[in-house]
This record gives sequence, C-alpha cells and structure tokens, in this order.
Amino acid sequence: MPKLDIPAEIVEQTQLAHGIFLLTVKAPAIQDSADPGQFCMLEVKYNNSMDPLLRRPLSIYKTRANGQISFLYKEVGKGTRLLSKRCPGEMVRVLGPLGQGFRLIDDRPQCILVGGGLGIAPLLLLAERIKQSGKLIILIGAGNASEIPTIEDFSGLTRYFYVATEDGSLGQRGMVTDLLAQTLREITGIAQIYTCGPWPMMKAVYHMARRKNIPCQVSLEATMACGIGLCLGCAVPKSDSRGFLHVCKEGPVFDADQVNWEYTQ
Amino acid sequence: MIHQKNPITKSLNHSISQSPNHQISQSPNLSINIGSLVLKNPVLLASGTCGYGKELDGLLDLDQVGGIIVKGISIKPRPGNPPPRLVETPCGLLNSIGLENVGIESFLKDKLPWLRNVKTSLIVNILGNSVEEYAEIAKKLDGAEGVKAIEVNISCPNVKAGGIAFGTDPEAAANVTRAVKKATGLPVIIKLTPNVTDITKVAQKVASAGADAVSLINTFLGMAIDIKSRRPALANVFGGLSGPAIKPIALRMVWQVVRAVDIPVIGIGGISTPDDALEFLMAGAKAVEIGTATLVRPSTAEDVPAGIRDYMEANSIQNVEDLRLPE
Repeated sequence: MPKLDIPAEIVEQTQLAHGIFLLTVKAPAIQDSADPGQFCMLEVKYNNSMDPLLRRPLSIYKTRANGQISFLYKEVGKGTRLLSKRCPGEMVRVLGPLGQGFRLIDDRPQCILVGGGLGIAPLLLLAERIKQSGKLIILIGAGNASEIPTIEDFSGLTRYFYVATEDGSLGQRGMVTDLLAQTLREITGIAQIYTCGPWPMMKAVYHMARRKNIPCQVSLEATMACGIGLCLGCAVPKSDSRGFLHVCKEGPVFDADQVNWEYTQ
Repeated sequence: MIHQKNPITKSLNHSISQSPNHQISQSPNLSINIGSLVLKNPVLLASGTCGYGKELDGLLDLDQVGGIIVKGISIKPRPGNPPPRLVETPCGLLNSIGLENVGIESFLKDKLPWLRNVKTSLIVNILGNSVEEYAEIAKKLDGAEGVKAIEVNISCPNVKAGGIAFGTDPEAAANVTRAVKKATGLPVIIKLTPNVTDITKVAQKVASAGADAVSLINTFLGMAIDIKSRRPALANVFGGLSGPAIKPIALRMVWQVVRAVDIPVIGIGGISTPDDALEFLMAGAKAVEIGTATLVRPSTAEDVPAGIRDYMEANSIQNVEDLRLPE
C-alpha cells in the first residue's frame, strides 16, 4: 500500500460547531488506497514557517469517489488552530494513508461501533464498509449534542442507531457505555466491537467486551512527530510485556487486549 | 561556471568538458571522504530520525542521499521509555524515546538485508552502557556486509561510573573511542553531546584517541511542563531538544570544533533546508546530518543535496569542500 506526501487543494473548510471543523481536500491518490481507520499527517504551518514544526495526525473521516478526503477535527492547540484558518483554494501538504486500519470480519457479521465525541472520526468509513455486508449497531456518546455535529452521517446507515449525551441534549441522558450495556443485554451474536473515543471510555468498552468474550478493536491517539515509524515517539504500553506499541505504524487500530489499559499518562 | 539553460549551448559545454583544461564547465562535485568512507554527497540521514531506512521507502529516494545512519543499536533490544515521549516546543521537538531499538542480532538478521540494496552509504549508530558493550557491538558490525562506518552515540549513561554520560567526560569518551577503534577496521565517527562546558575538549580527546571523525551535536537536554496537568510534559521529565530552535548553537559548536581538531566534522542541529546545510558547510563541516526535518518532511534529505548543487552552480563553486569560509 503506497504512502504519498503530496500538496492537496482544500475544497472545503467548515466550522460545524464551536471548535469543530470539517476539512476536505482533493487527494485522489491517497483517497484511492485509504482504508477505514487509517490517518494522514497534515502540514499546518504556512509556507516555510518553522512553528509549529510538526504535522498533525488526523483520522480519515470520509472519502468520496471524486478523490476527496475529509477530516473531522477539533481545535485543541496552535496547530489545529492554524489548520482551521486555511481556506478553500489553498494547498495543504498531506502524507498518507498511514497506519493499520480496522480489520473487517467475514461472513455477514453483526458488529457494534462505539464512538465517543470526535472519536467518531475514524468510524464513519468503517460503518459504511460494514453496512455493505453485515448488521451494524452504532452507539455514539458525547458530553452534549454540539460535540457531535456530524451525527446525521451515521444515523442513516442503520436502524440500530443510538445516542447518549451526558446533559441529555440529544438521545438518552447518560454515557455511551450505558448504551453498550443495554445492547449487550438484549442482543447476542456480536462478532466484533469497534471503538474510538477518550481513553477511559475505550477502557470501559474493552472490559465490557471481554466479559462477553467479544473481540474488540480500538483506535488509539498519541502525540506523533512523523506518523511513519521513524521517531518511535507515539508509544503505548503493551499488555503482555515491558514493550510498547507504536500508534503510527502498528496502529492506530489495535486489538484491545494488546493494550495495557492500566497505564495512565 | 557558466550556467546555461539553452540546450545547444549545453551540448557545446559538454563537448568542451571532455577537455581536462576546461574544468569550468563540469558539474559541481558533491562527493567527500571521511577517512576511507566515500560519500556521494555530504548529506546524511541522522540516527533516530530515519528508522532502519525501510520506513522511508516510497517517500524519500535513499539513492539520492549521501548516507543513512540507522537507529542506534545496543547489544540487547531496548523497550525505550514510557510515554509521553514527545512534546513540541517553539521551532523544536523534545524527545525522550529512551534509545528503543531491536538490538544488534535482530538488526543484522532482519534490518540489514534490506539496507544492502540501497545505493547509499550505510552507517550504523551504536550505543552501550559500558566500554565493553560498545566494543562488542563494533566487533559484530566489523564483518557485516554493507556496513560502511560506525557512528558512536556517547550520550549514554556509563553504568559502571554511576550513570554519568560517556560524552560529558572527555576521558570516558576517549576510552570508548579507543575500544571501538580496536574492535573494528571500519571508520569510526564519534557523536558528541552539546551538554558540556567545552565541546572542543571532548572533541580533541576523541580525536587523539583515534576517532576518524566527530559528528555534532546530539540533542540539548531540556524539559517542558504541562500547566494543565501540572506535571512534566515528558514521562522521563527531561528530554533532548532538536529542530530549528537549536541551529544557531549547533552551528557555533561546529565552527569551534572545526578549528580545534584535524579530523572531519559532521554538522548536525536543526538543518531543514539547503541554506541551513550551506551554513554548516561554510563553517567547515565536511558533511551534515538531517534529523528532525525528516520527521516533518520525509523528502528533506533528497532536497538538500539538490539545493547545495544549485547553489554551487549559481556561484561557480566546483567542489563542495570549497564552500568552507577562508580563515
């Protein structure tokens, strides 16, 4: 699978909610080979500025047959703030597609997708792919409705679609793990759980999956410098040894039981 | 030289260039020697920022690079430090990777075969916690097909001397140099740490101990604090600062060491552009290493030699070593 580092034209930059943006670029060569769960490294600096120095890793949210790739991201610091100021028509350098995405299950599986906040970003492509062959249950949670402004992209994909918000502004009041507990009580024969969101949420999802003997795949986040396995900066402790997983190259998607969930940064 | 875009004139230049008396029309010569090591151009990939080479496949044409210095290798595999290992700082990057590597056995078996097919000079960076460990790795690399030179990271703690880094003690640095030189016939480059009072003293010591070259600088010890969590930003508290932020200090140290020793000096520290590399070459560095810039843009080490060539053509400089400023 070829990785490319190319200048891509911005075709859309939309603020969807406070601090949440959808960026779409034209990068057919990357779009063409991108798998669900993969990411790209985007250059956020202007021209030859050296600050901020590093690119920012963003999950591939959406791809379209016309060669466009969309990234759903949150302004969390200087880098993403600069990126959010970039306008359609400008070029942004994109390196991708990177990392190991979600592994799909054969034989028309029944899968649950659990997304927390902007952790939904790598799950849309996956949901679209599973929908073609299997039964899909989507559970999404957030603090409030404004944290998940693209929820309609998901709601049309399955009739088993449930939302929980902590303030009750959308769907059931509570946590996405409440939805998962209910689902696991009512439905059997789940082949796989896929999840992405805050670390405590993913940890809870993993433990719930393990109690039911359901395999669980998680998409992890880490501070990265290169995105391609050069610096070994994006380490996450392994569950079975003193060693580390590297989010950029061996991940970002891992089998949840590979990860040492007790580690807190 | 006369830089002509016109194809007719260019072909005329080519016919003239066949005559040895018309050197003016030859293309610039970027090749250099470091001891018995011949590099096609003076731009190397710095250890720790280019993995074992294969990670860059498809993103950087390694054949265009003067050499690759692979990730530092120890006797046994090392798992590295717990995360967070990275924090970005203004124009810089702090890291505490902890020398994570696959170990010499796995390197020779799993990484070296692929590297042999790359048409660039392969230099292996080594590290150890004792003089004996350094010597042992150097011996294992001595007969390894494809390995052209060894770069020695002396910024590691000397376990037997209570953990003080070899590189901050001129005597310990000289001991490592002698042991490695004795263990291998390959050219030996000693990579110096800037975290010393006078880097020229260490450089002079390792030069008289037999080093074929010195490369400098390794990263500056630094730290950052996350004011939200009220904790050091790195799990290891301290880390090494690299990137454009350190370039002026690196350049000053290279300038000083060039004038303090008679062996070749390889410049490292925040080099991101051809202009940066030219500054180091003008300071007297025989070659340069590209580090953090590769993390930001993988093709940098291909773009820098091309830019040096353009500068030499535009300024009628025939040999890359002629870039050095007159004393």
